[in-house]
Amino acid sequence: MGETSSSSHSRQDPCVLGYGFHGAIANSTPANFFSDQEGAVYFGELEETFMHQVASLTRTQQAATTSIAHHGDIKPFPTAATVTAATATARPPPTLDIFPACPMRSLHTPKEGSNVTADSTDDSESSSKNNSNHSSVQHGAAADMQNQFDQVSQQQQLQHKNMATSSTPRTGKTPDRKTIRRLAQNREAARKSRLRKKAYIQQLESSKLKLAQIEQDMQRARSQGIFLGGAPGANTTSTGAAMFDVEYARWLDDHGRRMAELHGALHAHLPDGDLRAIVDDTLTHHDELFQLKASAAKSDVFHLITGVWTTPAERCFLWMGGFRPSDLVKTLLPQLDPLTEQQLVGICNLQQSSQQAEEALSQGLDQLHQSLADTMAGGSLIDDTNMSFMGQMALALGKLSNLEGFVIQADNLRQQTLHQMHRILTVRQAARCFLAIGEYHNRLRALSSLWISRPREILGADEGNCGEISIAAQASQSQFSSF
Amino acid sequence: MQYAAAEQAWYMPAAVAATTMAESAVASVERLASESAVVVFSVSSCCMCHAVKRLFCGMGVHPTVHELDLDPRGRELERALARLLGYGPAGSPVVPVVFIGGKLVGAMDRVMAAHINGSLVPLLKEAGALWL
Repeated sequence: MGETSSSSHSRQDPCVLGYGFHGAIANSTPANFFSDQEGAVYFGELEETFMHQVASLTRTQQAATTSIAHHGDIKPFPTAATVTAATATARPPPTLDIFPACPMRSLHTPKEGSNVTADSTDDSESSSKNNSNHSSVQHGAAADMQNQFDQVSQQQQLQHKNMATSSTPRTGKTPDRKTIRRLAQNREAARKSRLRKKAYIQQLESSKLKLAQIEQDMQRARSQGIFLGGAPGANTTSTGAAMFDVEYARWLDDHGRRMAELHGALHAHLPDGDLRAIVDDTLTHHDELFQLKASAAKSDVFHLITGVWTTPAERCFLWMGGFRPSDLVKTLLPQLDPLTEQQLVGICNLQQSSQQAEEALSQGLDQLHQSLADTMAGGSLIDDTNMSFMGQMALALGKLSNLEGFVIQADNLRQQTLHQMHRILTVRQAARCFLAIGEYHNRLRALSSLWISRPREILGADEGNCGEISIAAQASQSQFSSF
Repeated sequence: MQYAAAEQAWYMPAAVAATTMAESAVASVERLASESAVVVFSVSSCCMCHAVKRLFCGMGVHPTVHELDLDPRGRELERALARLLGYGPAGSPVVPVVFIGGKLVGAMDRVMAAHINGSLVPLLKEAGALWL
């Protein structure tokens, strides 16, 4: 079991790596694209700034503290950009590493020079709020918004760096045309991003309100649904079903541990006596599941019979709320070689008798369907001259209650089949048999989780794909971790 | 003793009414069960009974079926069957109940368990309901 799980896990790794790399490459293109746009200017400025870096370092540090105080709206961008650098390592705009403290004082001194000390604390609070806003923005789905913020912040960083470089020689001269143009562009960009941010926040607020309302509606509908006895609500699970799901999950965990123990015992070549004890325990554990299912059938038979409790791939093979015994025997037969003549005859007989029993139960269920349909269609479906709606319903309810009996008989059949296998086989064969059953269902569950998280669109939404594949890796890890 | 009374009922039609009243439901059940190799007590509308009938037909066995809802003594017989099976809850259906060679096999779960563990076929052969 260990080998199979590790090998299949490693089989998935290349996929994860592939998508991860692909994602990283895709993510880095925006930054490159942006730098290409302002390429020549950018690199020229970069060199200049490196030279002025040390000289202006202390000044920028001072300026940073005051400028952080000053620039309520605009200030978040550089700090948000640094947050971006910290958290979104896949997308590091080069500017940010070089200009951690943006010297914006030169840009905004004329506008907000009056707000030096008075608003310092307020603005820092609002700025920290904006910070958290931005970090939540990152974790949200607004990748493009963040991109825009980044671009604007990069633009601003660029402009500010220009300011820094030109500010030192500028202190005595009047600003030249280029500088004025850049200042205006910067203001424009900042204004646009402020508007975008406002619009986005408004959108968030409205969807928050909508979400609260939907939750309220759902609560109301759920309570009504329970009153009506589980009416067409897609997500209404009865308490019996919920309880069964919890217990089944626990049973699955337990099952995984037992399979690992059985596997170890089998390969450690324990004496037959010890192995028999473990095998008998495994059989008893299966019996416990049938007990759980029997009580679940009494409280919510539809939960079992529709297979909501299993995974999609298992549901594909569902027969009357579980696996088909004759199919299981057929699957196990080649795994149990070598068998004696007598054992072979016994297993073939078992396959045949379970098939006959399944056939009988299926025909019984068919008759139940037919009978129920006849009751439902009784009288006229079109005219209103119905003799007794409630009478019809009462009759149908009675028939529907027979469903429980069929699921219980089907589980009984499964249980008897397992017990008979246990009787026919030797201890070691029985151990291998139970391991095979466990592994077969495990593979079906792994198939289900891979299917659920398969990449649907190769074009676009690379982050989405990365997320899906990582979920697949996680899900299958949890499947195999039970070993 | 009770069988003797029943036999008398056969040959003395005048006294039939009195003796069939006197014969207990359990006795009737046992009498009916021993009349054929395979006897199934059923209810005509019961789907599980239909399933057990299909099971036997699928194996090539032709059981004698007594539909309790069509029998005037049906309710009593059902109660007697419940007692034979040792049933507690009144809600759960008693039928189908299967007798092979006059001996009680049980309800659906026992019949299926017997079939799976391979004891049903020898029982049928022994009762003469199945030939190789």
